[in-house]
Amino acid sequence: MSSGRDVAISIRNFVKRFGDIVAVRGLNLDIYDREIFGLLGPNGSGKSTTMLTIATVYRPTEGDIYVYGKSVSRESDEVRKYVGIAFQEPKAMWIDKPIEILTWHARVIGYSMSDARRVVREVMEMLDLWEQRNKMFSELSGGTRKKVEVAKVLIQRPRVAIFDEPTAQLDVIAKHIVWKAIKELSREGSTVIVATNEMYEAEALSERIGIIYKGELKGLGTPAELKDKIPGGDIIEIHIEGSLDPLTKQMLAEKLGAYKIDHNNGLIRIYVDKGEEKITPAIEMLSNKVKIKMISMKEPSLDDVFMFFTGARLGE
Amino acid sequence: MRDDLRLLYLLIVYDIRKIMRYKVFILMRVAWFSVQVGFFAYLISHIVGQRFGGELTYYHFYLLGAYTSILFTVSMFRGYETAQEFEEGLIEYMLSLPIKRKILAIGRILGGSIASFILTLPMMLIVLFLLGAFDLFSILLAMASAMIFSIGIVSLSISLVFLIKSGDATDITFGILDSLLVRLSTVFYPAIILLSFIPYYYVSSVNPLSYLADFLRWIFYPQELSKYLINNPMNLAFFIIGFATSMLVLATIFIEKKIEGGGWK
Ligand SMILES: Nc1ncnc2c1ncn2[C@@H]1O[C@H](COP(=O)(O)OP(=O)(O)O)[C@@H](O)[C@H]1O
Ligand SMILES: [Mg+2]
Repeated sequence: MSSGRDVAISIRNFVKRFGDIVAVRGLNLDIYDREIFGLLGPNGSGKSTTMLTIATVYRPTEGDIYVYGKSVSRESDEVRKYVGIAFQEPKAMWIDKPIEILTWHARVIGYSMSDARRVVREVMEMLDLWEQRNKMFSELSGGTRKKVEVAKVLIQRPRVAIFDEPTAQLDVIAKHIVWKAIKELSREGSTVIVATNEMYEAEALSERIGIIYKGELKGLGTPAELKDKIPGGDIIEIHIEGSLDPLTKQMLAEKLGAYKIDHNNGLIRIYVDKGEEKITPAIEMLSNKVKIKMISMKEPSLDDVFMFFTGARLGE
Repeated sequence: MRDDLRLLYLLIVYDIRKIMRYKVFILMRVAWFSVQVGFFAYLISHIVGQRFGGELTYYHFYLLGAYTSILFTVSMFRGYETAQEFEEGLIEYMLSLPIKRKILAIGRILGGSIASFILTLPMMLIVLFLLGAFDLFSILLAMASAMIFSIGIVSLSISLVFLIKSGDATDITFGILDSLLVRLSTVFYPAIILLSFIPYYYVSSVNPLSYLADFLRWIFYPQELSKYLINNPMNLAFFIIGFATSMLVLATIFIEKKIEGGGWK
């Protein structure tokens, strides 16, 4: 449905290695002009590496990324004019003050001194940072540092705005302030990419979500599309003691007509249609093989989407 | 082009802002330097008793050497710090800013040099005051040559860090260079005296510290000290400029290699 839209960022066979570690393994992904794109995955799945490469801080080991047609490997000077990034780990001198960090940033971005002062104040007030403008960076809480980092991009209003876990360490109120600011930025014309390991953040912000796990893209679409991709309308969850042998698992799948059965750490997840009719046969089959501790049935949430595509939980 | 100059300026501002956070540290350094040149140097020159024609004593000779020596040490250290910043942390931020890599490299070097110059400006003023040297043109020329010299040393320092790579080896090299280069130069001993130790003399005659120290001496005492200098004033000036330019080019290449050539992650 989105295929007619202009592409802002085109990631092509992108591989990034750090020595023996493969952080991203052959990523292909288009991000559309002016959308808010959520890159969702647990720690270590390659989100930051991908973001930093779009921002030309890292270079691709293989493949390439194009930002409005410019290659990050060959035209990095051009790409940098388009991109602004709020790093996962806030970047500033410890002895510096938020007001100076941000004013300097605004000047580098191209604001005149007086414009810089004005915009910095606006953004700091919006993020509830103004009171803390003259504290030393080292004295700020983790959440406040994070807000200073996010403020850089809000001041910059780049064509491509990247936020790497923008609300980690923020309380709920602050999270909502930042989300609102990010949506505002998008309405004003920026293409936004948000990396997150929190499902509700991805859902609260993004038009489309890419699920990334162990350096690979596992799923892609709007939240609704992703939920629709889970076959069957229901998920039966059975907690057991001990483990399920492959043969039983296969017989279970055939008997229940399941689309997919996941099994790890004592939790069996069966993706089926008409779940309520399948619970009793499932219990009958399993009860003489394993000890059943609990059974439940539900409609898929985005958490289940994640689990369906990766076989893992977000928190893992 | 105008944009590049603006960004260069801002990169320099960044370094100046950074050193201005260490006011107490600077004050202590200045205080110690005052004691060194106001008291110990005075003692030494009395003991030495050497006269350089006219009213000049070893004290006058020594003061400009002492300034050269502290500018060298501070510049080496700022270069070292700048290079360290390319290893981690803030450099990722800088690499993400809309600044060309070459401008970033040159900006960081110039920032380090100007910061070193500013850090040692109080020392220079103390020395000028003690010498009673108040001629504006001479002062400006002295400042310009100190500034250019510092560009060379900061570049040298950055290049060394990238060349050596291993942290321990770098620390040792810097320690040795710091003590050796000051001594194997005309910073504290006139060239004429070094002539009686030929190897010593040769090292001194390719040592940039000799050139700045002697050039400063020439600026303020062209007549009295001319026969004590390691080279003629023209060559002294050319050497300093040549040294700074070649080191700047080298360090820029090193930094660009580091951040673009795959050396950077
Ligand atoms: N600079 C680096 N050097 C070495 N390994 C790295 C570096 N950055 C990331 N990695 C590794 O690459 C993988 C992906 O990391 P990252 O992109 O930070 O994931 P995420 O942001 O999704 O948590 C991890 O295994 C991580 O340890
Ligand atoms: Mg990350």
